[in-house]
Amino acid sequence: MSDKNTNQTPPGGMLKWLDDRYPLISTWNEHVAQYYAPKNFNFWYFFGSFALLVMVIQFITGIWLTMSYKPSADEAFHSIEYIMRDVEWGWLIRYMHTTGASAFFLVIYLHMTRALLYGSYKKPRELVWLIGMLIFVVLMAEAFMGYMLPWGQMSYWGAQVIISLFSAIPLIGPDLALWIRGDYIISDATLNRFFALHVIAMPLVLVLLVFMHIVALHKVGSNNPDGVEIKKHKDTQGLPLDGIPFHPYYTVKDSFGAVFFLILFAIVVFYMPEGGGHFIEAPNFEPADPLKTPDHIAPVWYFTPFYAILRAVPDKFLGVLAMGASIAVLFAMPWLDRCKVRSIRYRGYSYKLLLTMLAISFVVLGVLGALPSTPLHTKLAQIFTILYFAFFILLPYTSAHEKTKPVPERTT
Amino acid sequence: MTSFLSRLSLVLAAMLLPVSMVFAAPSYNITFEKANNDIRDKESLQRGAVLFANYCMVCHSAQYMRYNRVARDLGWTDEEVVEKLAYNQRVTVDYMMTFMEDGVSQSKFGIQAPDLSLMARLKGNDYIYTFLRGYYLENEGEWEPAIWNNKVLTGTSMPNVLEGIQKHATPEEFDQVTRDLVNFLDYIAEPNKVERWDLGWKVILFLLVLLLLTYLLKREYWRDVKH
Repeated sequence: MSDKNTNQTPPGGMLKWLDDRYPLISTWNEHVAQYYAPKNFNFWYFFGSFALLVMVIQFITGIWLTMSYKPSADEAFHSIEYIMRDVEWGWLIRYMHTTGASAFFLVIYLHMTRALLYGSYKKPRELVWLIGMLIFVVLMAEAFMGYMLPWGQMSYWGAQVIISLFSAIPLIGPDLALWIRGDYIISDATLNRFFALHVIAMPLVLVLLVFMHIVALHKVGSNNPDGVEIKKHKDTQGLPLDGIPFHPYYTVKDSFGAVFFLILFAIVVFYMPEGGGHFIEAPNFEPADPLKTPDHIAPVWYFTPFYAILRAVPDKFLGVLAMGASIAVLFAMPWLDRCKVRSIRYRGYSYKLLLTMLAISFVVLGVLGALPSTPLHTKLAQIFTILYFAFFILLPYTSAHEKTKPVPERTT
Repeated sequence: MTSFLSRLSLVLAAMLLPVSMVFAAPSYNITFEKANNDIRDKESLQRGAVLFANYCMVCHSAQYMRYNRVARDLGWTDEEVVEKLAYNQRVTVDYMMTFMEDGVSQSKFGIQAPDLSLMARLKGNDYIYTFLRGYYLENEGEWEPAIWNNKVLTGTSMPNVLEGIQKHATPEEFDQVTRDLVNFLDYIAEPNKVERWDLGWKVILFLLVLLLLTYLLKREYWRDVKH
């Protein structure tokens, strides 16, 4: 990287003073100004930057919510209404945070879909994928804990259902659930520790993982819709022919994308903050009552595919295992997919078919997970659970014998 | 639904918590009448507020609403609001708590009357509208005492509070009374809603201008990228 600095004038003054003591310019160059990204990114490549943007929104609104929120079983619900009514701009800050939670999952799911479409998890980007999967898992924990904090009926009973899953584990289960709750029922103790984890522990881990995700990405370089390696063709200066510096090209492009995203975000925040009962569920406008089970307990939409898999399995412990496996199996993607061709543009019919099946299964399971359980729904959930796992079971075989199209040398 | 409940109880089996009350599914077999209320209609909100204070607050509270907030939003002064809504029995910074003494509701009706601050967000405007209009006599034609039931919430502990109004008003007037009440409940469930609506389009308009500028900036920079 240092050879590329030669055509720049050496810094002077304050910048020089700083750069002599901190690798300011080289870091900036390596990760932004001279990070060469493929020039053929399409709209799928916006979602990574959107995720970063949502994370910033969540951090900032979260800090301000913390200033007025009271993590206590007696006061939590009241303090939320206090924020909604009496705190200056409290309603806006809270709606941004609740909408942000759903937006985070939406962009992450699309970001992951992009990776599946263009084979971004394949060698040499396995670690980028693995760290990304860890981010996803931490994000689920973060969202789950955050959802408990308003201490409404759905906060309480949703947490009840999820924490009791741990009690299904043989031998240690009940003790483990007790340890997580810190009480025999979900109570003030549970709320307090979830608050600590939600505002300190998980965000810290999240920031670290996101940092590592980007460092790992910049080490191997970004993939692209053609799945070709831009580092293979360089000019006389050693710069990728199909690459362009991230700054200014992608900073300006992502700025445009960010504003577009914010428009959609603002439409939800200002005109449909409840998201039709999916972002903020109606039963959550009633304070938590340990003696009164809601008629229908459904997790927030972003957890429903996994919840449907849980409910599809008749045995509780096996259901928990299936739900865990449905997430865990994604970690193995770089090794389950044995096809050398990255992009779906040049892959065979088998992968296109399988990926379509996976996407449909995920969406259908998501819908089923939000509906009350009936014999028909359970039957459907079982079918689509099988289809969901079929993707991962069939992939190693089909991908090894895939009829692929010729991959171009350069980006198209 | 029964299988869901049995599964749910299975999920909760490990809990030491006695789940004493498991309610039946909320399969409302009636279609709710449309409330068609308008929270921008301040006169309707003012009428609804007076009705709420005179009828609902006998048992119910709106624990998150202060009188002065209602005054500010509905166009009353701090003096007017306590005069109209509390016959000067309250001060303007008070929360709109029920006029009933503690424990009376429990002993009289067997249940603590729920707080109504968030009822419109919990149940929806149409539910409340239909509920208020959904009372019917169980012993129609018999001489006494009247036994009221409700087609929305069967066996509700709430008496038909609006019976007197309904008896002496025309159907159109009663429509308005119930609509005004729902309107006020809608307002207190989210007092900032109108402010939210009015701010939203300005933010979006600003972002649209910014979208155009960022698009032009992007196009300008990308002019030299050869495909």
